[in-house]
Amino acid sequence: MSHKEQSAHVQLLAAQRSATEPASAVHDVHAMPPFAERLQRGLSDEHMHRALERFAPSWRQSRQALFEAAETEYGSDYSFANLRQRLRSAKDEAIAHQEELVTRFKERATAAGAVVYEARSAEDANRYIYELCRHKGITLVVKSKTMVSEEIELNHYLEERGIKAVETDLGEWVAQLDHERPSHMVMPIIHKTRQQVGEILSRATGREISRENVAEQVAVIRREHRQAFLTAGMGISGANALIAESGTVMLNTNEGNGRMVTSLPPVHVVLASYDKLLPTFADAITQIRLLARSATGQPMTSYTTFITGPDRPGKEVHIILLDNGRSAMRADPRFREALRCIRCAACANICPPYQQVGGHAFGYIYSGAIGLVVTPFHHGLEAGAGPQSLCVSCNACETVCPVEIPLPSLILDVRSRVVANKGLPWLKRLIFGTLARPRLFGLLTRLAALGQWPATLGTPYVRYRYLRLFERLPGIGPLARLTRWRSLPAFALRPLRDRVGSRANLAGARQERRRPEELTVCYFAGCMTDRLYPEMGEAVIQILERCGLRVVFPRAQHCCGLPALNSGDRQHGAAMAKQTVRMLERALDESGADYIVCASTSCVVTLIQDYLRLFEDLQLQSWLNRTRALAGRIMDFTSFLLRVLVAQQRLPALRRPASGTAPVVTYHDSCQSCNCLGLRTEARQIIRDVLGLELREMTDSDVCCGFGGSTSIEHPEIAERLLTRKLRHAEETGATLLVSDNPGCLMHLRGGVDANGLPLRVLHLAQLVAEYLP
Amino acid sequence: MNNSSALFAQFQRRLSTAGGVAHWAEDLAQAAEMIATHPALAEQRLIIPPAFAACQPWGAILPLLSARGIRLEEAETPERIADAPAGLSCAALAIAETGSVFLADNALAARIVGMLTLTHFVLVSAGQLVPLLDEAATLLQTFTRPGPQQQHYISLVTGPSRTADIERTLTIGVQGPRALCVIVVASPAPGDRSLSIQEAKDKSDEP
Repeated sequence: MSHKEQSAHVQLLAAQRSATEPASAVHDVHAMPPFAERLQRGLSDEHMHRALERFAPSWRQSRQALFEAAETEYGSDYSFANLRQRLRSAKDEAIAHQEELVTRFKERATAAGAVVYEARSAEDANRYIYELCRHKGITLVVKSKTMVSEEIELNHYLEERGIKAVETDLGEWVAQLDHERPSHMVMPIIHKTRQQVGEILSRATGREISRENVAEQVAVIRREHRQAFLTAGMGISGANALIAESGTVMLNTNEGNGRMVTSLPPVHVVLASYDKLLPTFADAITQIRLLARSATGQPMTSYTTFITGPDRPGKEVHIILLDNGRSAMRADPRFREALRCIRCAACANICPPYQQVGGHAFGYIYSGAIGLVVTPFHHGLEAGAGPQSLCVSCNACETVCPVEIPLPSLILDVRSRVVANKGLPWLKRLIFGTLARPRLFGLLTRLAALGQWPATLGTPYVRYRYLRLFERLPGIGPLARLTRWRSLPAFALRPLRDRVGSRANLAGARQERRRPEELTVCYFAGCMTDRLYPEMGEAVIQILERCGLRVVFPRAQHCCGLPALNSGDRQHGAAMAKQTVRMLERALDESGADYIVCASTSCVVTLIQDYLRLFEDLQLQSWLNRTRALAGRIMDFTSFLLRVLVAQQRLPALRRPASGTAPVVTYHDSCQSCNCLGLRTEARQIIRDVLGLELREMTDSDVCCGFGGSTSIEHPEIAERLLTRKLRHAEETGATLLVSDNPGCLMHLRGGVDANGLPLRVLHLAQLVAEYLP
Repeated sequence: MNNSSALFAQFQRRLSTAGGVAHWAEDLAQAAEMIATHPALAEQRLIIPPAFAACQPWGAILPLLSARGIRLEEAETPERIADAPAGLSCAALAIAETGSVFLADNALAARIVGMLTLTHFVLVSAGQLVPLLDEAATLLQTFTRPGPQQQHYISLVTGPSRTADIERTLTIGVQGPRALCVIVVASPAPGDRSLSIQEAKDKSDEP
C-alpha cells in the first residue's frame, strides 16, 4: 500500500471509529475469572509463592548492587536517587506537554515513512490491526511481548476473526498455549514449574519434551517459531519508549525474537500507548539505565532496538498510540503521576502480598502495585475492586519505583473510590462509625475490658484455646478463626489515660515551667497504646521524665483516623483527622509544649503525611495549613530519643546488663518507620551503641510482618503467611528479644509468638530502653 | 594505549557479565585469525558477512578470512542463513559502561547475520570504544536525522540472546545467537574507512 493509500486507510478507520465508538471494549469469551476465584487459586499455588519468595531477595540484592556499583564508578549522578529523579522529570515533561510531543513524534515518524494512528479505545486499536490484516490478506501474525496487546486482548480479537497470532516470547508463548494470561509483566510464567512447561510444550508440539531440562525446553521455541517468522505477514511489537525528537520507537528485549518480529515480516505494527513518549534520546538512555536493573536486576537487556520508520522499500511500519483511559488519568492531578510507569514490575517483585497470591489475583491484566492503580482506568472500577484490597500499605513499592510513583497513596485513592462507589462492608462501617465517636469508643472498650474475661481468662491475650469453647455462639466463630494463628490483645482494664495523673493538666505544665531550656513534650499515644498496651505508653513517659522533660498527656486525644483512612473511609477518616489536629493545637497552646512525640510510627505518618494528602484532596485549605504548622513539631519516639535525648545528652547513664545475662536482640523494621520515615539506622544505633546490646539482624528485617492495617482482617491467609515468615526469620537469629517501634506490628508479632508458643519476648523499643534506666 | 586498555578491560568485563566475549586485536590480520580459529567455525568453516557493499569499511578482512580457509556466503534471504554457524557485523560504537555494541544497518541482509546465525562476531575499531551510554545517545541523534543517510534500524547489542522465563533458569541462546564475540581492533587500517563519531556528525550536518 502506498503512503497515500495508508493515509486514506487511517482516515477511513477514523471515520468508522467516530460512528461506532463503544464506551469500552466488551469481550465475552476469554473472560477473566472472578477475583475470589483468582485469589483462591493464587493462595493455593505453593510452587508460585515459593518461586516469588525465592526471586525477591536475589532480585533485591542484584538490583541494589548494580545501582551501588554505578554510583561508585561514575559518581552520584548515576545513583538510583538521581537517575530516578531525572527520568521522573523527563516523564513529567512528556506528560505535561503531551500534545506537543505527539505532534513532534508524528511529524518525525511520518517523515521517516511510518504511519501513526491514534486509537481512542481498545476496540479502536484492535480494529485498526484487524483491518490492516484483512486489507493485506494477512492470516498469520508474529508478536513480541507487549503488555498493551494484553490490555486490549488483541489475540482474542484477531483469533475470533480468523487471524492467527503467535506469541514468540517464550513465556508469553507458553502462557498462550495454556490459555492463560501472564502473571507478571516481565516474567510472564513465573507461576509455572518446568514440569508444567514441559507438559504444555509436549502437548503443543506432539513430541515428547523433557519435563526437567530447561535448555531443551527453550530450544523448542527456536525450532517451532522459525517457520512462523519467515512466513508471517505482520509482526506486532510493543514499545518501551517513543522518542519524540526523532520519531523513534525503542524496544528492550532479551530473547532475540523482538528484532525478528520487527525485521522479518513486511508489516510491523507497534502497539504503544501515549505514556511511552519521551522527549529525547538522552531521556531514553536514562530509562535504559533504570529499566533492566529495576526489572530483573540485570545491567541491560540483550537487545535495545531503535526503529525510525521502515528500513527498506516495501516495508511498512504502523505505530498505534493507544489512549484507553489514559486521558482520564492525565486529567486527574493525582493519577497522572502513574503515567510515568515504565513497566519494570519492581513494584510487584518487592510486594509481600504479591508474593503470596501472584499476579493473576494481585492485579487484573496489569499486575503489581501499578496494576492496582491503573486497572480502574483501563478496565473499570469493578475490575480493580478486589485486587486493591490486597495492598497492605507497606510502601515498599514506592521505595523501588524508578519513576517515584506514589503507588501506596494511589492505591488508597482507588480504595476510597471503591468505597465511595460500593460502600463499606457493614462490619467496617460499624467499627469506624464507633471509632469516630471518642466517648462511645471509650465506653465500649471499657465494657469490653470487663466482659472479655471468658476469652482471656485474665491474661493479656484473647486466645483461640479459650474462644474455641464458644465457637458455636453467634459472632464468635469468625473471631475464633482469627485467633487460631495469632492471639489478639486484651483491652486494658486501665487504659493509659487513667494512668497519667496530673500530666493531663495541660495548663498546669505551662504555669510550672521556669526556664526556657526545660523541654515540655506533648505525648500523643495513639489508640492502640492507650487501650491495649498502656505499659508501652508508661515506658515512653518514664524515659522522657527521667531525661528531665515535662510530659503532658491531653486526655482529649483519640484515634488519628488511620484505620478508616487505610480502608478508604474518608468520611470518618477526615472527621478523626480534624478532631486530632484540633486537639493537638489546643494541647500545644495550653501546655506550651515544644514537641509532640508519638511512639507509633504509623500514627506519625498519618499525622505528617496522610493528613496533608487528605486535606489537599478535599480542598480544605485551612485544615491543610493547620496540619502543616503542626507537622513541624511532631516527632516519632525513635528519632526523638536519638536526635534530642541522646544528642543533647539528656539521657541518664543507663544500666549495663550483667555479662552473661544480656539478651540478644533482633529488630523488625516497621514499614512506616523504614519505608515512609526513612528510619533504617536509628533504632539499631540505640540498641547497639546506646544500650550496648548484641543485635542480630534477621533476614528481610524490613519486609512487612503482615499486619497491614485492615488487610489482616480482610485477608487473614496473607497476614498469617507473612507473619509466619517474619517469625521464622526472627527465630533463626537465636535472639531472645524481638523489638520494633510500631504498636501495630507489635500487636501482630506478639499475637503470633503467643499463638505459636515461641520463646521470644516482643517489646517496643521504648520498653527495652526503659528496662535499662538507672 | 593505557587509557584504551583500561576501557577495553571494562568493556570486556561488562560484556562477559552479559554472557558475551570480547577480544583485543592489533590489526585485521589478528582479528581474522581469531575468527578462523574460533570453535564456532571448527566444524563448518562458513561465515555470513553482511552484503559486501554494506561492509565496506571492514571489507579488507574478508580476503584475510578466505585466505584462512573460511567460506564466505552473503546473507541474501533469512531462510538461507538461518542457523548458519556464524555471522559477521561491524559496529559503529562499543560502550564500556554496559559492554554493548552499536549496530546500525538499514539493510535487512546486514541485520539478519546477527539475528539468525549461531555465533555472532562483531568488529569494532578501538577508536570507537567509548566509556558511557551517553555517547550512544549522541550518535542515535545523528544517525536518525532525516535525510538519505537516516538509519532506520539501530540496535545496542549486549550479549547473546537469553531467557530466564522458565523457573528463572538463565538460558543463553533463544531465538537469536547463542554466542556473541566482539573483537576490538586497535588499527583496522589499511582500508579503515569507518567514521569516527565526530566525522559522522560532521557528515550528517552537511546539507
